[in-house]
Amino acid sequence: MQPDPGLAAALAHVMETASVLAFRLDAHQRVVAANAQAHQVLGPEVVGRTLAELMVNFTDALDVPGDDVQMLSLNTASGMPESFLFRRFVLADGTLVLGSLDFQEQERLRTTVLGLNHELNDLTRQLHLANAELRDLNQLKNQFLGMAAHDLRKPVGIIMTYGEFVLDEAGSTLSAQHRKFLQTCQDAAKSMDRLIDDFLDVSIIESGKLRLELAPATATEIVSGAMEMTRLLADKKKITLLVEPSDDTRRLPVDTSKLQQVLLNLVGNAVEHSQQGQRVWLSSHWEDQSLVFAVRDEGPGLTPEAQAQLFQPFAPGGARKTGGERSVGLGLLITRKIVEAHGGRVWVQSLPGEGATFRFALPVQSVNSNQ
Amino acid sequence: MNDNPTTAVGPDEAYAHYLDALLAGDRQQCRAVFESWLAAGTELRVLYQELVQRSLYDVGARWEQGRVSVATEHLATAITESLLNLVYPLLFSRPRVGKSAVVTCTAGEYHQIGAKMVADLFEFHGWRGYFLGANTPPPDLLDLIRQKRPDVVSLSLTVFFNLDSLLQTMAAIRAEFPTVPILVGGQAFRWGGRERTEQITGVRCLTSLSELELWMKSQSSHAT
Repeated sequence: MQPDPGLAAALAHVMETASVLAFRLDAHQRVVAANAQAHQVLGPEVVGRTLAELMVNFTDALDVPGDDVQMLSLNTASGMPESFLFRRFVLADGTLVLGSLDFQEQERLRTTVLGLNHELNDLTRQLHLANAELRDLNQLKNQFLGMAAHDLRKPVGIIMTYGEFVLDEAGSTLSAQHRKFLQTCQDAAKSMDRLIDDFLDVSIIESGKLRLELAPATATEIVSGAMEMTRLLADKKKITLLVEPSDDTRRLPVDTSKLQQVLLNLVGNAVEHSQQGQRVWLSSHWEDQSLVFAVRDEGPGLTPEAQAQLFQPFAPGGARKTGGERSVGLGLLITRKIVEAHGGRVWVQSLPGEGATFRFALPVQSVNSNQ
Repeated sequence: MNDNPTTAVGPDEAYAHYLDALLAGDRQQCRAVFESWLAAGTELRVLYQELVQRSLYDVGARWEQGRVSVATEHLATAITESLLNLVYPLLFSRPRVGKSAVVTCTAGEYHQIGAKMVADLFEFHGWRGYFLGANTPPPDLLDLIRQKRPDVVSLSLTVFFNLDSLLQTMAAIRAEFPTVPILVGGQAFRWGGRERTEQITGVRCLTSLSELELWMKSQSSHAT
């Protein structure tokens, strides 16, 4: 019988170019020949190995029935396993095994992956857009906050000033009860004044307009400027403020006024959370090229949950303030932002019932004057 | 940003390199060229027209000629779309002009990169460009128009056979929003259809991103 040239060409196509895996196996399931596609998919070392060695090692994976198509997974040269549909043909001198991909499965896979890719990219775009809108809204909020606080400051100042006039000049003519009413108005106005200051600070910080005026200063110079106000706060509640002096004369380029605001916030918090007769310590020292300040108190301390929220906007603050002082929870946010603008960090160590120690470290390097 | 992408190897060579990488499915090489154009301060429209659109048209032409497979074309599209993400950090922080556009593909239309580039170009020029993606059902589109009240609706058509779907969508928009301008564009209009779309009141067919830019400029001059 004459060999069919068409069949020979078809076989040559299978062996050289077709996207199908073709192996000839001997009686021991060893590959004696493989087509170009098999070499491309599985790597150069195909011939000489058994079919079992080429497969992912699953139970019964070698049981290729005579007439059925069976799905088997092979280890490909890329390192990823791939599943093929195999069929075995018994020849006079061995076995021919042909394997092809499941087209429908591949199509489903491709459609799904492309769809997911579309979705992922669209969501990425939406995320960027949503972030931009949130940034715009935040900016608007800061502008509003700044304007509102600015406009409130003047009338509150007038209330405080004229209230003081009345108390100073006409206090003696008022009854004790009326003087108390007036004093309550004064205290409320002062509280509102502090709140307005915090709002203004936050609006400036959040809008990225916080500017540091850097000048070299020692730890003692920074602390001494904050002493008068901090002592006032402590004395008022009969808290003992213990300032541990530093004799280190190293200077660091800082915004002294802003850092004094930080110290005032931290000492003020410590005082507000302390009972009469307790102590608050303020100290500083150099550690690993950083100037570290610490404010320690003997107050009720903080739970880990409260500590995690402390430096966020409008943080609840954890423990109750002992004198009923009011706060909206912006002081520690302002503290963090000022310290971070100096390239530093602020943190707290505390256990419930054992007081708290707030520290902030200012590194010699990385002070950012453009924050 | 400028009109002439100045890269180390020149724009033509860079483009050829990019196209080769895109056809080879080499995401990293494509990204390198894309980033070099961005780093050179290439204007967004130029980047999109001269690199993104040109390469996708070239890949599409090769597919039509039977020189590349569908899979290659799909991979090129996927790579291209992932590269557009690199633009976003620069795009959404630009100064706003207080206008917005809703941009989408009609139902049955799965080619979305053109529409996405249009939405991005709106963003680049200070408009808010809301993008709904491929195959948007008309009810979803109408919902977003109700919600955002855009200054313009822009619809993209890549496959000419989706023209009827586009016309139906435009009719639905016009029925509920009689005055909102509608822009249409896309590769499908190479085969015609412009006249049919522009028969609807307030519809403009724009054939390129350059024309879209001119249209946006005309809108800002109206405002002043």
